[in-house]
Amino acid sequence: MSRPRVIVCSGGGGVGKTTTSAALALALAKSGSRALIVSIDPARRLADAMGVELGTKAREISLDAGRGQLFALMPDPHNALRTFIEILFEEEPGSIERLLKNRLYLALEAAVPGIHEIVAMSLTWRAVVDYDIDVVVIDTAPSRNAVDFIGYPKRLAKLLGGRAVGWMAAIGKRTNIASQDDRMGRVEGLLVRALGPVARDVAGLFSEMARVRERFIMLNEHTSELLLHPDTRYFLVASLTAAARDDVDYLFRKLSALELAPRALIINSAFVPKRDWIEALESSDETTTAIREVLAALDEEELTRQRAAERTTGAFSRRYPNVPQVRLPFIEVVEPRSIVHALADHFDIPALLAQ
Amino acid sequence: MPTNEGTSGAHVQLAPAVFVTGKGGVGKTTVAAGLALAAAEADGESVYVEFGDAAGGRRVLRNRPSGLEHITLDPSRAVVKAATPVFGSARLAKLALDNFAMRPLIRAAPAIRELGVLELARQVVAEHPGKRVVFDMPATGHSVAWLKVARQGRELTGKGPVHDVCARIEDELVSPGRASVVVVTLPERLVLFETLALCDTVEKEVGLLVDRLVVNRVPQAPSAAALADAAALSKTPDRVGEAAAKLAELLSVRTTVREQVINALNETVHRHGEGKGVEKGLTLLPMAAKDPTAATVADWLRAAGAA
Repeated sequence: MSRPRVIVCSGGGGVGKTTTSAALALALAKSGSRALIVSIDPARRLADAMGVELGTKAREISLDAGRGQLFALMPDPHNALRTFIEILFEEEPGSIERLLKNRLYLALEAAVPGIHEIVAMSLTWRAVVDYDIDVVVIDTAPSRNAVDFIGYPKRLAKLLGGRAVGWMAAIGKRTNIASQDDRMGRVEGLLVRALGPVARDVAGLFSEMARVRERFIMLNEHTSELLLHPDTRYFLVASLTAAARDDVDYLFRKLSALELAPRALIINSAFVPKRDWIEALESSDETTTAIREVLAALDEEELTRQRAAERTTGAFSRRYPNVPQVRLPFIEVVEPRSIVHALADHFDIPALLAQ
Repeated sequence: MPTNEGTSGAHVQLAPAVFVTGKGGVGKTTVAAGLALAAAEADGESVYVEFGDAAGGRRVLRNRPSGLEHITLDPSRAVVKAATPVFGSARLAKLALDNFAMRPLIRAAPAIRELGVLELARQVVAEHPGKRVVFDMPATGHSVAWLKVARQGRELTGKGPVHDVCARIEDELVSPGRASVVVVTLPERLVLFETLALCDTVEKEVGLLVDRLVVNRVPQAPSAAALADAAALSKTPDRVGEAAAKLAELLSVRTTVREQVINALNETVHRHGEGKGVEKGLTLLPMAAKDPTAATVADWLRAAGAA
């Protein structure tokens, strides 16, 4: 299998990231690719934007036109832990049963956010192989901390792949924890006392984890291959607010520190598509006062948007002179799905892929 | 001025601790700062607390009055600090938590860190008796899980010092009367859908009431007169008629989208209302030409009786 192109769309909350990612994937498919859109967003936005349902398998989305194919994958965050355990312990059903009885296991879902991400990347890997995907668009969680998810699997791998697992597994079993002879023995004693009876569950969980260390490392490699590969392109999505600009700056710094500097800035709702009809009505003497008031308000809105767009594009051009900007229109329709289709036509795919 | 069509009756009084939550990008920081500012103006003193790098608070609270204290809690140091009483001393806490095995565990399981931050939050409230303390929570998804972490820790541990810390957080901070939840959202269908789920989680899993549902950037209802006039004019078979048809289409899209939003809001209020906080707590804030300051939002909230 050859490695697919990977594009990760990131950005602050409320900037229209899912819609933009879906539109980008659609544009890629229309230009002839076998594209896969994956949403890690815990919300169901992709469901609204594309009509896909939650699940562990990618589904094909029918295209109205174009030569390629589009698939969508939206893993259910509420099933992440179950799927994770099923993937990890595929060959050891006994462990799955034991884990389901472990009180700590049930608390893990809220405690360890990387699980949803790592499961999503593992399912993405499977879809890439099964459907011979050649470009993957990943829609990240809607927050400033979105890029943290790149680091989560590595953190989990560090935990599960390191010495800590054996030590934790032993923590509840040690009988002579009162012994002050060795330093770690004393630390164990401190922790067991602080945790109380749950220390036994901690030990049980980690001894199960120790059994699948190698499978976990393989899962982690899939994640790294998709997210940390030097060819993976990161695109940042912004809307016209000051908060969205701050988020872009923050994410740009974080990604650059990981040597994954963003290759494009996508600015949503940056302009209103040309409305010749406003002029036609303004120059007509058949209109009423109510209509003229609305037209004036529309002009005002457009001017406000134009100024905000200039502030945003100007700030980005100064700070990131070498990063191309994609300006997307502000579209007012009732159906979210028609926004995706309308936006798809605004991506210059060959130019974006040349970045 | 605030659009008050969704506001029904008087708002319930906010508790001493206020958790302001919502998706990223909904104007949560400005609402949190606006609430803190309004409280400082009413009571002379209040506290605004944020987590992380203090960038959000600095942006919206540029001319903060002297009675408004701005506190930033650093999640990366919270665990050892919060655990010090559990282990008896800072040295022992460091020994137990800052070692080769616990460091990667804490990095991999942010809930441990969140528990630490929540304990620090409890301390902030305890140290400021009688003052309104407004917490600007991190963006949704994680932030409600954050509030659940004390209850989960309490149930999980059963007994012992960690259990006692969790129990104290639940009793003193995360319980009705001690803390209010303010959910901030936008009048967009997709965002509201998530808000609905968030309100459910707050009430069912966290056990707090949503005392305010603040809807930011609510656009004005399109002029019905203009829609009727444009529809009439669109019957003329010329260039002006075609243009009028376009205008009528735009206005009816706006009307439909706005109706969808108001219906979704009513649904939220209906599901969570029935004598509970949200029914009285719906607050619509207007769309402004540029990002409003905390002072503007404080004025809007006061005018709506929601401060």
